[in-house]
Amino acid sequence: MTFLLSSKTRALLAISLLAIGTTTVRAQQSADELSTLREQVRLLDQKLKVIERKQELKDEDAATAAKTAPKIALTDKGFTLTSADGVNAVKIRGLVQLDSRLFFDDKGNGLVNNSFVLRRARLISEGTFAKNFSFQLVPEFGGSSVSLVDANFGVTIYKALQFKFGRQKSPVGLELLQSDSWTFFNERTLVTNLVPNRDTGILVTGDIANGTTNYAVGVFGGVADGASTTNADFDNEKDAVARIFVSPFKNKTGLVVQGLSFGVAGSIGREKTTAGRTSGYKTDGQQTFFSYLATTIADGQNRRLSPQVDFRKGSLGVIGEYVISTVNVRPSATGVKTELKNKAWQVSTGYVLTGEDSSYAGVVPKNNFDVAAGTWGAFEIALRYAKLSIDDAAFPLYASASTNADEAASVGLGLNWYLSKTVRFTFDFYNTKFGFNTAAAVTPPASPSVLHQSERAFITRFQLSF
Amino acid sequence: MKLKLFTLSVLALFANIAAFAKNIELLNVSYDPTRELYQEYNAAFAKYWQAKTGDTVTVKQSHGGSGKQARSVIDGLSADVVTLALAADVDALYENAKLIPQDWQKRLPENSAPYTSTIVFLVRKGNPQHIKDWDDLVKTGVSVITPNPKTSGGARWNYLAAWGFAAKKFDGDETKVKAFISALFKNVPVLDSGARGSTTTFVQRGIGDVLLAWENEAFLSLKEFGAGNFEIVVPSLSILAEPTVSVVDKFVKKKSTETVATAYLEYLYSDEGQEIAGHNFYRPRNAAIAAKYASTFPTLKLITIDQAFGGWTKAQKTHFADGGVFDQIYAK
Repeated sequence: MTFLLSSKTRALLAISLLAIGTTTVRAQQSADELSTLREQVRLLDQKLKVIERKQELKDEDAATAAKTAPKIALTDKGFTLTSADGVNAVKIRGLVQLDSRLFFDDKGNGLVNNSFVLRRARLISEGTFAKNFSFQLVPEFGGSSVSLVDANFGVTIYKALQFKFGRQKSPVGLELLQSDSWTFFNERTLVTNLVPNRDTGILVTGDIANGTTNYAVGVFGGVADGASTTNADFDNEKDAVARIFVSPFKNKTGLVVQGLSFGVAGSIGREKTTAGRTSGYKTDGQQTFFSYLATTIADGQNRRLSPQVDFRKGSLGVIGEYVISTVNVRPSATGVKTELKNKAWQVSTGYVLTGEDSSYAGVVPKNNFDVAAGTWGAFEIALRYAKLSIDDAAFPLYASASTNADEAASVGLGLNWYLSKTVRFTFDFYNTKFGFNTAAAVTPPASPSVLHQSERAFITRFQLSF
Repeated sequence: MKLKLFTLSVLALFANIAAFAKNIELLNVSYDPTRELYQEYNAAFAKYWQAKTGDTVTVKQSHGGSGKQARSVIDGLSADVVTLALAADVDALYENAKLIPQDWQKRLPENSAPYTSTIVFLVRKGNPQHIKDWDDLVKTGVSVITPNPKTSGGARWNYLAAWGFAAKKFDGDETKVKAFISALFKNVPVLDSGARGSTTTFVQRGIGDVLLAWENEAFLSLKEFGAGNFEIVVPSLSILAEPTVSVVDKFVKKKSTETVATAYLEYLYSDEGQEIAGHNFYRPRNAAIAAKYASTFPTLKLITIDQAFGGWTKAQKTHFADGGVFDQIYAK
């Protein structure tokens, strides 16, 4: 059978076949292109995923390394090197205090007491090992010779049960226990004359009752009022020291009395010495106004009792303490024994004018002193009164009425400028009046010159503490 | 008389105290893919030990690349036992720190390898790159996932299995074998530090066409992430991987845990220990229990480290020590 097609029909058919062929080729090309594109997308997707995974692995490695690498921190609390697990740490801190002492209206002949003094220069190293073992080493480079202020190590069983062995502050005086850097005034009050300073011994301490109560019980070698151990115990007897300090409202947010803490501290021991018992009691200007006769020795029980209180509410801070120090003395090895009771009390208050909180651990300015930024740090004003009375029975057998005051009463007015947490200027004026025993031949005594007039001292301090 | 009574009472009290059950803590430092195995085993052992002695045992686990884990123990991580991917990593505890005796491997049966495994391939569903054997891993465009042999025990087994295949294929021509291994590692886009990391790379991050995996890790991936997503490919030849275990003598003596740590490892050879190994896709040593799991594990030709490489000490020194063959190949 033969089909006859017109030339027009043949032409149409040829065009149709060509079109179909072209479409098929195009479809094949599109499929190939799509396949190629898909493969390219897959490869790109793989490359992207590989990059992401490599970054993820880098991050994991960095996180792992961070877990095992020791941490180094340099802050306003010093330089700290901490092990990755946080259980070992060594901290280096420092304290430098440069004082200018200026005394007004001194009438004594040849009295030289206006001076610049490097009051304290300490490089403090502290540390913790295996989380529960700590140490503290505080050499003193200020003063006339290098000495060791603190050298102790601690063992923490629980927060409520911690041991501290070595040279440390004896926990009696409230103001004494506060860091040298952060007292309201650049010098502590007369009260601190009657409490032990650094002593060597064993202390058990801890926070109990949800941190509202701190207790401390210790056995120390025993030191005279205001004195620190010389590392040579002067007798076979030891002093027992105890303190309890309660902050009953510490966890009651919003209460006016939330920042109220109070407590009582005391020491008891027996002492028998062969020489004078104290280097003397000092004024706010660090001038000696009372000391026992060189022949006076301690022989018998000595006791101290000190009720104390601390209150903080916003910018306001108040501390107060009373101390009665009882000591049994003899005028010589065979002389009559007498029990003397010396007493002192003080109230100090500070108010931070720039609004920061008052704190036992110092004021932290909201803004550091920075002229360019127009910020000035924090300012605090302070006021205090303190009085120390020597037992009348001390005169004249144990101390000369002619060369000692038997009472000192001091008013202090201060301005503290916190340029930062670490830098502080203090400007303090002290006015200390002396009282004298009736056994004195003349009043004021002929010597020493510091007793010829009330002490009016203007003491300024530049302090760097970190 | 009263004093005697008091003394006896005090002694009796101390005797009672001594008789009280103890709480014992062990640290098992292991390699990456054994997490699930030891979670199950630790519970079983604790139960067994309590029934036997009354003491409560808690076993802490630490996992990571086998080489890294050994390094941690050498550096002071006080492991009671190590259960590592290969004998060379346990040897390192003797070589570098004398934490164990030199003959540690003789202290337990089967050269201190209570279970075995091998190396297989895990590919994506449908095996789109048609990977069937080691040859396919060196083809252009095939992306291979394996951890770093410098840090991972599993990776060393991977490397040696590939080497064994190439050695057979090229009739021991070392130049060609090295070229083969070099080509394989050129196809590796990411080197994780451990086997579990590589599994994450392949399974969870979707990278690569094939994962060189411990057999148990491959089975676990199927179980955890669904058989519908992956397939296991068994190559024509692989290697008998023998993860080894040891008490760390220096630490157990210090911690007074030697008895329980030794018992912990010995119990791996018990029927229950072997069952748990099989259940977690490790090949049990116990023939009867291995027979129970025979259908799970494919039969394939396995070379051994001793036959093919002269033992782990030699293999480690030749291939994986600093400056060894792997370093030379990978640097290129």
